[in-house]
Amino acid sequence: MRKKTSSVFVMTVSILMLFILGAGYLHITNGVFDMSVMDVLKTLLRIEPNSKFDLVIFEFRLPRIVIAALVGVGLGMAGVVLQGITRNGLADPGILGINAGAGAAVVIFMFFFQLRLTSADMSSWLSILMMPIFGFVGGAMAAVLIFSFALKNGHLDMQRLILTGIAINSGFGALSLFLSLRMNAQDYEAAAVWMAGSIYNANWIFVVTMLPWLILLGFYVYRKSYLLDYFQLEEDSITSLGIAVEKEKMKLLLASVGLVSACVSVSGSIGFIGLMAPHIAKQLVGIQHRYVMPVSALIGAGLLILADFIGKTVFAPSELAVGIVVSIIGIPYFLYLLVKSKA
Amino acid sequence: MKKTNIVAFSILAASPFLIAIVALVSVMYGTKDISAITVWQAITAFDPSNVDHQIVRTGRIPRIAAVLLVGAFLAVAGAVMQGITRNYLASPSLMGVNDGSAFVITLAIVFFPGLPNYQMILLSMLGSALGAGIVFGFGSLIRNGLSPVRLAIIGTVIGTFLSSIATAIAMYFQVSQTVSVWYNTKVHMVDMDMLMLAIPFGLIGLVLALISAKAITITSLGEDIAIGLGQKTKTVKIISMLAVVCLTGTAVALVGKIAFVGLVIPHITRFLVGVDYRFIIPCAAVVGAFFLALCDVLSRFVNYPFETPIGVLTALVGVPFFLYLVRKHGGEKRA
Repeated sequence: MRKKTSSVFVMTVSILMLFILGAGYLHITNGVFDMSVMDVLKTLLRIEPNSKFDLVIFEFRLPRIVIAALVGVGLGMAGVVLQGITRNGLADPGILGINAGAGAAVVIFMFFFQLRLTSADMSSWLSILMMPIFGFVGGAMAAVLIFSFALKNGHLDMQRLILTGIAINSGFGALSLFLSLRMNAQDYEAAAVWMAGSIYNANWIFVVTMLPWLILLGFYVYRKSYLLDYFQLEEDSITSLGIAVEKEKMKLLLASVGLVSACVSVSGSIGFIGLMAPHIAKQLVGIQHRYVMPVSALIGAGLLILADFIGKTVFAPSELAVGIVVSIIGIPYFLYLLVKSKA
Repeated sequence: MKKTNIVAFSILAASPFLIAIVALVSVMYGTKDISAITVWQAITAFDPSNVDHQIVRTGRIPRIAAVLLVGAFLAVAGAVMQGITRNYLASPSLMGVNDGSAFVITLAIVFFPGLPNYQMILLSMLGSALGAGIVFGFGSLIRNGLSPVRLAIIGTVIGTFLSSIATAIAMYFQVSQTVSVWYNTKVHMVDMDMLMLAIPFGLIGLVLALISAKAITITSLGEDIAIGLGQKTKTVKIISMLAVVCLTGTAVALVGKIAFVGLVIPHITRFLVGVDYRFIIPCAAVVGAFFLALCDVLSRFVNYPFETPIGVLTALVGVPFFLYLVRKHGGEKRA
């Protein structure tokens, strides 16, 4: 049994890798001007470098694909953790309002620091590096609010959790709207584009910004993923195993808020990836979280690259924010889950 | 019972004064303050060459009229929805009604540009019906789907879906700006034609709501009781949904999406006048009108001299109230 699961796991991972490569291939060769795979390979491997291709690939398409992949990985993992902690398959960073909290904090940050997201000089590096930290504070605040409202006699009440998430979403949404309207036109533009959940102004600074968060917290939650298996048991039996349940839950929660905030601070609020990826992963490799977690991360990455590709090509010459593409794909899936789940 | 009557009647009796005061304040204050005497002259002895008179006539009066109407419409629509579904979270904005309307309007702007106003109002209502129909249809399809929590989730998610598709369509046909002008809150630029059309359409909705008020009270006691009392529950639901569609469709057509009025005001009204919808509906109309007019006045001063979207103000009241309701009721069924 165990052997079988792990071979299924290896196969799933390989197929997902191919899927991501395929999506990446589509993404990098199509766009305002198409290039052949040979052009791309030649540019990447530095055979006959060509400044025009260099610009398109290294400044525009590649960072965008990398960001899409990283955000997908972060949201996919955070989704697994949140669903595991709350023991509810409908939990998602977007629905719970963590996205909105992190988003509002980043808007506050942009508002006070008058950040030009597109500029890449050294002084802006520092402020961009600070963005995930701000996002984290906002996301953690939202999480604390949500969980304190949802606690009923020391237990999480799922219905309250989701309802509070809805309220938090509109509250922080209104706050972000209010602040963004007080910005000057240029900052407003940047904030509005960013809030819709888009990655088309991606650049390498963002990659550097979110990478440490993803690596550190990603490894942390992966290492702790076996705990999520235990959390599916009755509370009493876990305690009898000698696990400090509440403490571990809190740590994992904070780690997932950190992952989400790093993602939100570069891409804005993208919902439903954290919901879909874990479900698909569980259908592919079963319920053991040490398999679910990496598979969910890869699915998140693949989905987001694909969604961004759809957003940039179907609507050319204008671009549809990737967050909107993801909602259009993700919501029917969410409703399907709702139909399937027991009341 | 007797006592609640007194409260209800005193609300209704006091309403002309309260609304007159908030209306006067609304007309007098803004980016440019205008004295009460000038306002009076603008109404009684209009002088087209006087800029202040122009502001009062073409800007401030249509605005306060629209805000009062929309406040009343949304509050009544929310009250009717909460009563019929016995769901304390039911309200136009949470149930995808607003988004449905905005969705259809987007389609109309793309495929039938330049439609006359009255057709836009009709389409807006059609969209409200569509949004509500999808949400309730889906809710009744799944097990326990009409419970407060599930319906709220379904409504939010389907609302997001409809507005995402609308955004995508608007983007594809490059009409985003026209569309966002249409359905983002636009209390500061109320269209006079639209206002004149909104009155009859909204009145139809209000009358339908008042007609079904007694039946809604009975329904709110529970389906079984209603059937036991010999009520035609289907007819009641259809009539009251028609009322909701008329009211929200008109409201969205007039000023765009405004959240939380339809959620909060019915609760406050029920708290004040009790559980009889014959009192709740007219009182909700008055309280809603007053509340939204107040929010509109405040929206001009929060970030003076710039205007804040009125939705920010309603959220400021609505979000804590929503949290309070969730804290208090959790997943129970009640209205």
